Amino acid sequence: MGSAPQTILKRDGTAVPFDAEKIRLAMEKACLATPEEQVSAQALIDMTALVVARIQEGTTPSVEQVQDLVEQVLIEAGYGLTAKAYILYRAEHAKIRRSEEDLMNIYRELTYSYAQNADLKRENANIDADTAMGTMLKYGSEGAKYFVDQYVLPKDVAAGHINGDIHIHDKDFYMLTETCCQIDLMKLFKNGFSTGHGILREPNGIASYSALGCIALQANQNEMHGGQSIPTFDYAMAEGVAKSFRSLYRSALVAYFQIGFALDETDSEALADKVGQSIGWPSMSALDEYEGALSGVLAAYEPEQAKAAHEYASRTALKNVKRNTYQAMEALIHNLNTMNSRAGAQVPFSSVNYGTDTSPEGRLVIESLLLATEAGLGNGETAIFPVQIFKVKQGINYDPGDPNYDLFRLALRVSAKRLFPNFSFLDAPFNDAYYKPGDPDSEVAYMGCRTRVMGNVYDRSREVTSGRGNLSFTSINLPRLGLICRGDWDLFYRMLTERMELCFRQLLHRYSVQCTKRVRNYPFLMGQGIWLDSEKLGPDDTVGEVLKHGTLSVGFIGLAETLVAMTGSHHGQNEESQRRGLEIVSFMRRMTDEQSARTGLNFTLLATPAEGLSGRFVAIDRDRFGEIEGITDRAYYTNSFHVPVYYQIGAYKKIRTEAPYHALTNAGHISYVELDGDTSKNLEAFESIIRCMKEAGIGYGSVNHPVDRDPVCGYTGVIDDVCPRCGRREGEAIDVETLRALRRQYPNMPMFYGLE
Amino acid sequence: MQKVKQQTERVGEGVKFERIRRITGYLVGTTDRFNNAKKAEEKDRVKHSVAGA
Repeated sequence: MGSAPQTILKRDGTAVPFDAEKIRLAMEKACLATPEEQVSAQALIDMTALVVARIQEGTTPSVEQVQDLVEQVLIEAGYGLTAKAYILYRAEHAKIRRSEEDLMNIYRELTYSYAQNADLKRENANIDADTAMGTMLKYGSEGAKYFVDQYVLPKDVAAGHINGDIHIHDKDFYMLTETCCQIDLMKLFKNGFSTGHGILREPNGIASYSALGCIALQANQNEMHGGQSIPTFDYAMAEGVAKSFRSLYRSALVAYFQIGFALDETDSEALADKVGQSIGWPSMSALDEYEGALSGVLAAYEPEQAKAAHEYASRTALKNVKRNTYQAMEALIHNLNTMNSRAGAQVPFSSVNYGTDTSPEGRLVIESLLLATEAGLGNGETAIFPVQIFKVKQGINYDPGDPNYDLFRLALRVSAKRLFPNFSFLDAPFNDAYYKPGDPDSEVAYMGCRTRVMGNVYDRSREVTSGRGNLSFTSINLPRLGLICRGDWDLFYRMLTERMELCFRQLLHRYSVQCTKRVRNYPFLMGQGIWLDSEKLGPDDTVGEVLKHGTLSVGFIGLAETLVAMTGSHHGQNEESQRRGLEIVSFMRRMTDEQSARTGLNFTLLATPAEGLSGRFVAIDRDRFGEIEGITDRAYYTNSFHVPVYYQIGAYKKIRTEAPYHALTNAGHISYVELDGDTSKNLEAFESIIRCMKEAGIGYGSVNHPVDRDPVCGYTGVIDDVCPRCGRREGEAIDVETLRALRRQYPNMPMFYGLE
Repeated sequence: MQKVKQQTERVGEGVKFERIRRITGYLVGTTDRFNNAKKAEEKDRVKHSVAGA
């Protein structure tokens, strides 16, 4: 019998001290995985000694050689099941290791193929991976994922991700930052701010409010891996409108003093200063009261003269503030579709929520943004950013007679043309629970694709939207459980529990990494006090405590395919499947709630959007289980709890089927209805869908309809094969005279292709 | 009377239609950048009728 070797060779060729205990532990793990086969502690010790004895004396064995010996010894000792578990464990690890070769292949693909041919380069549709910076980002991203798999993640978590049991989203950013944040612009603008690259003074009018709002979104986007949201856009911009109005009123008054009172410029200015010092400047909502006050200050003049001055100044200021606000909102949309982020590969992923501010300033902001959205970009194109969310609220904008009902109607019209805004529903019971009249921060907001952050078990007194966001999220491959369990519900819930626990462990692991970061790692997000309570920290303080205001979310995709695997039909098809579907999602929600209660952290349940994931799980499962009708026979698994996109179902029934899942998925959700081009132009039909969503208890929804555009003649609408305006087919040329005639016919088209 | 047809200038050769779609909550300016799974999903979508309640 040989003595134990001094060292063992790892796969990368480095020699490390040999430790027989590691062999025993590996066998013990395999035993634990096979409770049906009992192996005594003494047997483990004996078998470990046997493995060591079989290592050729005087050699330095490799890890692989030792593992081969372990397998032999287990099988010879008659522990067949344990041996099998050990082999599987080895295979999983080998699979993880193989990604080292894969990484180089990925780099090759990134370098030498165009996005058109490489699915890998189209993982995120809003990144242009054909550009130099886009490719550089992908190198970084793929390299980071490899590093995290190999050296950071606990092995079972890495294996769970690689084999497709779970999916860790934004894994490339695992060691770096958090997902997203809802930015309170009012707080940020107060006394000015710094982007980390320069100091900006507190803005003084709507134009600079809009510009600085864009800069805030951009700066924060570069410090986090998800999108950025402004939860109370109308309230924040209203302050800018009010400032603009006051200054415009003052200018108009000075002009009137010169002409109407026949004062020279210096005296006019001096008189205006006196007015300002005595009674300040008016707000748009208190012009009548102001008139009386102004007459008092201008007592040296006839009352009619003061009145005329006020009327002129009010009229002029109102006209100009409208124009300025429209221009500011137009600029915001243009900026957010053209500003660079992430080294130029993207524009910031931005969302703005609005609809409930009933002040004249707030209403002007909402109206202007909607009209600018309707008009489109420079050539009339539909703007891709920001994601716009119109907050629907009874008593504020939902019914005729509500103060912002006209704006709700305008929002419907714009959405029917431009796909935005989406609609969120503050009256849904799970959103209404937080609503406090008069406190915009208590209005639930939605971020980008669907994220929702509101409840706060860490600090119940801070259940607010601003300064909070998601820390990270991880999704479960639900259809796989269906494919394994095939109607065995006991097994299904046992396995689902395991998967949820794996996600909890992984999310906490990632959170522990995030906790080590310091304020200086986030000069804007934390340095400028955007994240809740970060203003209380110094540059070298760690952020772990304040991050507790954020959420850790477990998501899922493919409820429909899961139900098909378990019951034969999905939840759009029959009541029994719907009951089972709700049971599954309720079970997951209960687990996240319990985990929150246990840890004091905000574990929440997400209806995963499945951006890059929609094709990944199903491809792995098709390899493993074969092509199964209604489950693995398409290129994607269905988005979260959605009724499958290919299933024929009426709009109202779809809404009512999906609505109860909104109440369960507190980390975010969205439902879509698909309309054809004609129906989407029917505003009554469009409104009836949004009202149905509200009444059914949907939290967040939108209507999809085709928006096509022919860049040649500028037509925006539905284009099948032939452009209905200029009659050309895709790629065809038309003669320039036809185009000139169309330009005369449609003078408002911003640009015609190829015409001066 | 036979008239010689004048060669007219033509524009738009090779210009594609833009097709804007919402896929995961975000809009995308052209479906060219969708990954294969998303392309397949978009193609499979059926319209929902608003007839009846």
